[in-house]
Amino acid sequence: MLSRLVLVSGPVLKNSGSFGACVVQASRSLQTSHQNQAPLPPLPEKGGQVRHGIIPEELFTMLYPKTGVTGPYMLGTGLLLYMLSKEIYVVNHETFAAASIGAVIIYGVKKFGPDVAAFADKLNEEKVAKAQEVKDLATTNLALAIEDEKKEQWRVEGRQMLFDAKRNNVAVLLETNRRERLHMVTNEVKKRLDYQIALQQLHVRMEQEHMVNWVEKSVINSITPQQEKESIAKCISDLKMLAKATQAKANV
Amino acid sequence: MMLSFFDQFMSPTYLGIPLIALALVLPWTLYPTPTPRWLNSRLLTLQGWFINRFTQQIFMPINPGGHKWAVMLASLMVFLTSLNMLGLLPYTFTPTTQLSLNMGLAVPLWLATVIIGMRNQPTAALGHLLPEGTPVLLIPVLIIIETISLFIRPLALGVRLTANLTAGHLLIQLIATAAFVLLPLMPTVAILTATVLFLLTLLEVAVAMIQAYVFVLLLSLYLQEKRL
Repeated sequence: MLSRLVLVSGPVLKNSGSFGACVVQASRSLQTSHQNQAPLPPLPEKGGQVRHGIIPEELFTMLYPKTGVTGPYMLGTGLLLYMLSKEIYVVNHETFAAASIGAVIIYGVKKFGPDVAAFADKLNEEKVAKAQEVKDLATTNLALAIEDEKKEQWRVEGRQMLFDAKRNNVAVLLETNRRERLHMVTNEVKKRLDYQIALQQLHVRMEQEHMVNWVEKSVINSITPQQEKESIAKCISDLKMLAKATQAKANV
Repeated sequence: MMLSFFDQFMSPTYLGIPLIALALVLPWTLYPTPTPRWLNSRLLTLQGWFINRFTQQIFMPINPGGHKWAVMLASLMVFLTSLNMLGLLPYTFTPTTQLSLNMGLAVPLWLATVIIGMRNQPTAALGHLLPEGTPVLLIPVLIIIETISLFIRPLALGVRLTANLTAGHLLIQLIATAAFVLLPLMPTVAILTATVLFLLTLLEVAVAMIQAYVFVLLLSLYLQEKRL
């Protein structure tokens, strides 16, 4: 892990400018990440590539131009054989212990590795899912709010019709009221006029009666006793003639 | 490079420079520091999850006053586990095989629980020396026994860890030697011995984690006791 850091920082150190600047840069050249806090660069998708679980891929890439594909393996074997033959590394009981613990480690990693990695990913995903849920809930709520707003706007358009209807109602009421009052006025005026007519008719009638009475009175006063006796004799003679006529009719 | 069986338990020095500090600091380099990121790498996520779970588990039965010990006990657990597990690698030195280290961890922590208990509730702390419901005649004897058991706790803590790890390492060495020596003589028996070694290594891995856990658990129990 640390070797990769040195490998990466090597070219950076080489490429730095003058010696003075190199001294300043050297203290920071091992920091390969951004110096700012934000925005943070995203984490790489995969960790450092390793071959056979422990040897970084950079070793193979480094040796490839000079020694090809088998280079690192030859190096490893050569080193091992050198150390064994010169007895720099002595095979003793620790070797067996090393083989044993190596077997345990390899068995553990191969068997439980993917599960542990999936578990770690699941923990992260749960975190993301929780935040995503909040975000989704907020989005749906806002979408609902937009729909409600649109509906309200549609309702507002319809409100004009409501106002028109109400306005019509009020106009009709006013009209009814006006007509009632007109009717009332007409009735009152008619009553007044009828009164006047009745009064006039009364006048005419009274004059008529008065005149008739006056005429009768004057006629009665103008009847002399001579005339009275003559009229009574006439009446009697008329009556006698009538009686004779009726008797004649009865006999026939 | 001839190794005797007890070389692994000698505090390492190189040209007179003691390397014990390096051995003690090595586990720290293996655990990444939490970043200001919201989503971290797998290792960091797992580390965070483990420490959270562990602290929750240990401190559930302890009342909130004792939660001040959370950092101490969680870091102790991680420290001891990593020291023990790293010691299983070949040619490594396990600091926890040294009695001095373990006593240095056990005695101050145990003493802290006792003193805090005495300070906060002296009557209850002294009352722990006598279990409930003892017959009157046994009281003096029992007090002596309880006091002895109280004072033997740090010894037990330290020696338990030391003995388990030392014994385990020594057994691995012996059985590995047996397998190694038998290989040219009786290969079949050597293979059997190698199987035994494999199983023993599995056991040692378990023991490494368990012993660390037991250490921390017992300390938390003492803490619980003193605060209740």
